[in-house]
Amino acid sequence: MTMINKFTTMLLGMAALTLTAGLARAEDQLDAETKARIEKYEQGPATIDVSKYPQGIQDNYETFSQKCAQCHKLSRPINCDYALPDEWSRYVKRMMRKPGSGIDSASGLKIFEFLTYDSSVRKKAMLNDKLAKLTPDDKAAAEAKIKEVHDKYDNK
Amino acid sequence: MPRVTLPMSDELKSNIPQPSDAGLTASRSTVPIWIIVLTLLLLFLGAVYFDHHSGWFDKHVYAPYTSAEQLASYQPKSGAASMLTQGKAVYETYCGLCHGSDGLGKPGQAPELAGSEWVAKDITSLARIPLAGLNGPIQVKGRDWNLSMAPMGASLSDADLSAVLTYIRESWGNKNGAVSVDEMKSARVAISGNAPSAADLAKMTPLERGHAVFQKYGCAQCHGLDAKGGVPNPNAKTAEQIPSLIYVADGYTKDELKAFIRRGERNIPALHPDGPPPPHFMPSWGNVISSNELDDLADFLFSLKPKGDNLGF
Repeated sequence: MTMINKFTTMLLGMAALTLTAGLARAEDQLDAETKARIEKYEQGPATIDVSKYPQGIQDNYETFSQKCAQCHKLSRPINCDYALPDEWSRYVKRMMRKPGSGIDSASGLKIFEFLTYDSSVRKKAMLNDKLAKLTPDDKAAAEAKIKEVHDKYDNK
Repeated sequence: MPRVTLPMSDELKSNIPQPSDAGLTASRSTVPIWIIVLTLLLLFLGAVYFDHHSGWFDKHVYAPYTSAEQLASYQPKSGAASMLTQGKAVYETYCGLCHGSDGLGKPGQAPELAGSEWVAKDITSLARIPLAGLNGPIQVKGRDWNLSMAPMGASLSDADLSAVLTYIRESWGNKNGAVSVDEMKSARVAISGNAPSAADLAKMTPLERGHAVFQKYGCAQCHGLDAKGGVPNPNAKTAEQIPSLIYVADGYTKDELKAFIRRGERNIPALHPDGPPPPHFMPSWGNVISSNELDDLADFLFSLKPKGDNLGF
């Protein structure tokens, strides 16, 4: 009977060890939450169908694809929860300021305009949610920036 | 060749089953009980064999402990033993990448710790290295080194630092003695002896306090005295150097920046994926830096952006 108890303990112990090992591994990660969020983004689509976008935005998509893929998966920015012009501005500038990024001001602007335009089309619901939470001044500034990008590229 | 047919006797013919008799029939029958018993017996003996021949099933391992005290009674009694275990874990996370798990260092990257005269120095001198970093020419066991080490231990608690220094002083043949948490606390106070007092801090502007925080936590060791970066970080994708901080106002909100400083970044992308991992990384400061210090530091870092240096959008 004791042996049977031991055997049962062994089976339960193995199950517990497997579970504990899994949890410990997750805790090892410096910031599991951030990492999980990024991994989730990266599991999404890595390309965007830009065939219906204006030609200038399609050209900017090429710049975005070429420059950004040097350091990270394109699926990260494509599927992330950034949508406001201000969010994209900070994100692109953060990348530009990294030594060796190879993103000059002209390329950075193209990438920013592409991401802003794309968010206003492909992430429209998310963008509207975010705009609704801004202060009136910030909302007006964000809408003006989006309009500026559309005016620059639409019907050209 | 013609086929030859031999005549068959009547007796032989009667022994051949006729088609009407030849069909196979199936019927329900039980598995012999001895097979079931034998299988169970073999499983049981297998389990017994495991029990007898595996250390996993020692009663001290799986016995149901009834209290935390009972469990604690099985832990290493000596403080040194538990410190060494803790110290090894900290060492492998923060030091082993450059100094090697064997303490023998890596050519061109970090000197050896095994048998190093630096490890045998007084505790304050030794603690100064992980707390404040080390730059410039030094000699280790007769060999010249001229490298830059970031304050890799500045974000660690006194318990972790004393454990890792104990591990270094008592491993790979080193016999330099343990470092207690109290000794570590005293060393930290001695090292930060030039830090401004609380009264001094109260008189400062937020930007001055932020600058003091920048100095207190050794940010300059990696990001430079002027925060313009440039300290080498071999094989880092960021042009093999530690990034500048003077443009953080471009890329972060203050909340994003503070969250990043708290979180740190352990995984620095490699320039050459097949090469060694970059030795320097951003420690997580969340457990060390206070909320007020973080606010002041963020204000200070935002103030560093050169006026008029805009990216055009």
